[in-house]
Amino acid sequence: MKTRSVIVSLTVLCLSAPVLADDDCDDPVTDWQPREHLRQKLEAEGWTVYRIKVDDGCYEVKGLAPEGFGAEASFAPATLELMELEREDDDEDEEDDEDEDNGEYGYRDNRGDGQARDKAQTNRPVPHNGIVKGRPTVTVE
Amino acid sequence: MKKILLALGLALSVALPALAQAREVTFTTELTDYRGDGAYLALYLTDASGAYQGTLWVAGRKSKYYKHLRGWARGSRLDPAEYDGLTGASITSGRTLKITLDLDDALIDSGYEVRVDTAVEDMRDNRADVAVPLTTGGAGTPVPGRGYVRSFRYDF
Repeated sequence: MKTRSVIVSLTVLCLSAPVLADDDCDDPVTDWQPREHLRQKLEAEGWTVYRIKVDDGCYEVKGLAPEGFGAEASFAPATLELMELEREDDDEDEEDDEDEDNGEYGYRDNRGDGQARDKAQTNRPVPHNGIVKGRPTVTVE
Repeated sequence: MKKILLALGLALSVALPALAQAREVTFTTELTDYRGDGAYLALYLTDASGAYQGTLWVAGRKSKYYKHLRGWARGSRLDPAEYDGLTGASITSGRTLKITLDLDDALIDSGYEVRVDTAVEDMRDNRADVAVPLTTGGAGTPVPGRGYVRSFRYDF
């Protein structure tokens, strides 16, 4: 009786695993192009590629987008189609259950004028840690 | 007469804090071309013995990574009250972060030190990548970091 229930449980678990895995890409592995093809494609488009890894069935790329901002992007391994692009400083759009920081404001990254200013400086809360007076001014060059 | 002196004393005790001078300070942190993800940075003050005194700025908005800024994380205990209103995005390799803020004069030339902890995902963490005394004489002098910071300076 115990053995049967264990077998049944394991079977159910194995069958349910693909459903629970929630892969972002589902290209059959036999159709995948080599990572080097993706690197060449992106570099030809103007990317600086730091690294490519496999994540949830997709190729996940970290690097500098042609526009100059840091980015993390997912590509379908077979078609090399862009699935998702996340800017390095676009954290507020990412769902993160562990992130307890709400109401953050981020930078608008370099737009070619050599400088980026925190677009929401006036909306940032006034610090009250007893060290910093008033709101800091922040730029990234 | 006693009442007048008492009133005067009370008035002074209220007014004196308002007379404390603050100074505008600009901290400039230039990163090396380390070829990795955006760096998390914590700029903070310590006393002469290295004990945490307060947060100046945190670059990087995912608080789950703040533990990698080890010196700052230990001192601030990652209490949001320490860095509320003092956070922004992480800084990309090769970029320069400039922060201008007002600090009490009492913090300058008083044995306080500015420290910068840095961390990059999948790369090393650097406690005290930069550690420099906060002094009038030190203003304008660039110093190299030990990790991702190519150069750090502060100006009044």
